[in-house]
Amino acid sequence: MSQKDSFLHLARPLGPAPVGAQPSTAPLSVVIQPPAIFSILDHSLRRPSDQDRVIGTLLGVRSEDGTEVEIRNCYAVPHTETAEQVEVDMDYQKQMLALHLRANPREVLVGWYATSNELNTFSALIQNFYGQQGDGTWPYPAVHLTVSTVPGQEIEARTYISAPIGVTAERAADSCLFIPVPYELKYGEAERSGLELISSAKDREDRSQGIITDLESLERAIVQVLDMLERVSSYVNNVLDEEATPSSALGQFLLNALSLAPKVEAADIERDFNAHIQDVLVVSYLANTIRTQIDLSNRLATAALTMGTGDPLTSEGGDTTNTRGGDNNRGGDNRRGGRGGRGGRGRRDGPSDQ
Amino acid sequence: MADILKETPLKAVQVEALVVMKLIKHSSQAFPTTATGSLVGMDVNGTLQITNSFPFPTVDVPATDGHQQDTASNLAAAAPRAKANVAYQNEMIKFLREVNVDANNVGWYMSTSMGNFINANTIENQFFYQKEPNERTIALVHDVGRSSQGSLSLRAFRLSPAFMIAYKEAKFTTENLQKSGLRYQDILVELPLTIHNSHLLTSLLHQLPSDAPREELDFPPNLSALQQDPNTPQPPLFPNFDSLDLSIDPFLEKTCDLLLESIENHHTELNNHQYYQRSLGREQAKITAWQQKRKAENAARAAAKQPLLPEDEWQRLFKLPQEPSRLEILLNSRQVEQYARQVDGFTATASAKMFAVKSNLLPGE
Repeated sequence: MSQKDSFLHLARPLGPAPVGAQPSTAPLSVVIQPPAIFSILDHSLRRPSDQDRVIGTLLGVRSEDGTEVEIRNCYAVPHTETAEQVEVDMDYQKQMLALHLRANPREVLVGWYATSNELNTFSALIQNFYGQQGDGTWPYPAVHLTVSTVPGQEIEARTYISAPIGVTAERAADSCLFIPVPYELKYGEAERSGLELISSAKDREDRSQGIITDLESLERAIVQVLDMLERVSSYVNNVLDEEATPSSALGQFLLNALSLAPKVEAADIERDFNAHIQDVLVVSYLANTIRTQIDLSNRLATAALTMGTGDPLTSEGGDTTNTRGGDNNRGGDNRRGGRGGRGGRGRRDGPSDQ
Repeated sequence: MADILKETPLKAVQVEALVVMKLIKHSSQAFPTTATGSLVGMDVNGTLQITNSFPFPTVDVPATDGHQQDTASNLAAAAPRAKANVAYQNEMIKFLREVNVDANNVGWYMSTSMGNFINANTIENQFFYQKEPNERTIALVHDVGRSSQGSLSLRAFRLSPAFMIAYKEAKFTTENLQKSGLRYQDILVELPLTIHNSHLLTSLLHQLPSDAPREELDFPPNLSALQQDPNTPQPPLFPNFDSLDLSIDPFLEKTCDLLLESIENHHTELNNHQYYQRSLGREQAKITAWQQKRKAENAARAAAKQPLLPEDEWQRLFKLPQEPSRLEILLNSRQVEQYARQVDGFTATASAKMFAVKSNLLPGE
C-alpha cells in the first residue's frame, strides 16, 4: 500500500464561509498506525448487508503546530445512506467520543473514515460536520481517510483534508473541496512482535496461527538468514567462475559488511564462551532446582498430616493432639531444611548471572 | 441454551488480529503501569473467539515519583472489578452492539512484564469475572517485557473449577487443601491460543512488500547508489530478525531477580507458618497439661466421692491460633514455577545464539 503519489498544493481563493470560522487548509502529513487500519477493516466486514460503505471517527494525536497528524485509534459510527439523504448518529458519535476520552485522554478527534474510495456529496456533508466548530476538529482541518475494501481488488487508502467551496454560504455548507494529503503507515517497536505473528498467518489456508515460542522464531529467522547468505554466496561464486556479471558496488558493499566481524583471539573467545555458557547453564540448573524445591515444599506442607494413622483432626483427646503436634513439627522441620538450602542457593545465584 | 453451552468446556481461544494490535498498543503506551481492559467476542463450540477489545478508563494519578506510579499500577490492576468500570464496560458494549460487534463480554486483559502477573489481584479479577457475568470468561495476559525481546507473548488463562470452589469458601488451610487435593499447578488453566486474520487483513498483508525480489535486478553503478536505493526491501515482518539480537542477558538477569524476590516471599510465608505452628504447639501443650491436671483432680474427687468437674472446659479457656491462609504460598509457588520455565526458555535461546557466535568467530573448529 506504499503509494508514491506526490502532491502539489496551490493557494486558491476560498469559498464563502462565516468570518472567523475559517479552518486551516495548510497541507499536513498523516501517519496511520496499524490498530486503526485493522479496526477499519474489521468494521468494513461487519457492515450491514445493504450498505456499501460504513463510516467512523478517527482518533489520534496532533503535533503542536497541527502539521502532523497521527491516527492511533478509531471507532465505528452507525449511519444510513440512501440516494437522497444521509443520516449519521451524532448522539452516538458524541457519547462514544466521551467514552474513549475517559480511557485515553490524550487521543483527540482528528477526522473520520469511510470504507469506500468514493467521494460524494454526502462525504462533503459529513466532512463539514467533523470539521465544524464546537464538536468538530476546528480550527484544525478534519482528516478524511478512505480505505477501499472492494473484494478482489487491492486495498487502497487515501487521506484528504478539505477546503470550503461554493458560491453562497448555503452551498458551502454541503460541499467542500477534498485535497489529497500524503500519509504513511507506521508501526512501533512494540507492535513488531505482534505484526510478526499476524503476518506469519498470511499464507495459511485457515488464516490463523498459534503462538510461536522464542526458540521457534529464532529458528525461522536463522533459516531465513542462511537462505539469504546462500543466495549471496552463490552469486559471488558465479562471479568467480565468470558466469555472472561482477559489480564493484556490490563487492564494496559485501566487503564493508564482512569487515564488521570483530577480530578476537581464538583463546579469548574460547575462554569467554566457556565462562558464559557455564553461567547460563548454572542459572538454568538453579532455576529448575528451585522449582523442584518449591514443589517439594508444597507437597510436604500438605502431606505431613496424612502420614499419621487416620485423620487426627476428627478425633479429640490428649494423645492424638500430641501426635498431631509432633507431625506438624516434623513438617515444619522438613520445610525449614528445604528453605535453608534454597536460601543458600539463592545467594549463589546472584553473581552467576552477571 | 445456557445448558447446551455449559456442556462443552472451553477448549481454545482464538484472538482476532485487531485485538492483538489494540492490546499491544494499550500495553506499550501504559508501560510500566499495568494496562487493563475488556474483551468482547463469541463462544463457538468451546472455542472462545475474541473479536474486539477496549481499554478501561485511566485513573488520573500524577505519576511523578515511584510511589505514585505504584498506586496507578495498583488501581489499573484492580480496574476490572471496580464498580465504575463495570458500568463503563456495559455502556461500551451497548454502543458496540449498534455497529454489529459481537457484544458479549468474554473476559479481560492485562499487561505484565517478564511473567510477573500471578498475584492476588489477577486471581481476584478472574474470579470476579468467572463468578458473575458469565462463567465462560478468560484472562488474556500480554507480556510486554518478553515480547520486546523476541516473539509475541500472549497467553490465555482461566481459574480451574477446583480453585473456584476453594476461593469461594476462602479457606486455604492445610486441612482444606488436603481434602480438595488442590495444588499450585491447578490454580490457573492455560488455554491454547491462536491468532486469526480476517480476509481483508490477509489481503492487506499480501500487499505490504515483504520479501526480497526474486528476479534479477540491474546492478547499481556505485556504493552510494546501492545504499540509497529506494527499492531496498524493508526487513520483513516475518520472520522477525530482531530475535537474532544477541543481548539476552538483561532479560535473564531480570528474571533471576524476580525469582529471588519470589523466594524471599516464600520464605516470609513459611516463617509465618512456623510461627503459627510454634504457637499452636504451645497452646496444645498447655491444653494437655490442663487436661491432665483436670483428670488428676477428677480422680481425686472420685476417690473423695465428690461430683466430677467437666473435662471439656478447655475449649472455652484456650483459644487455638488461626491458621494463616496458604493462598499466598500457592500463588507464589505458581509464580516461581513460571519464572523457572521462563529462565529455561531464555537459556535455550541464549545458548543457541552463543554456539552460533562461537562457531562464527572460530571457523574451522
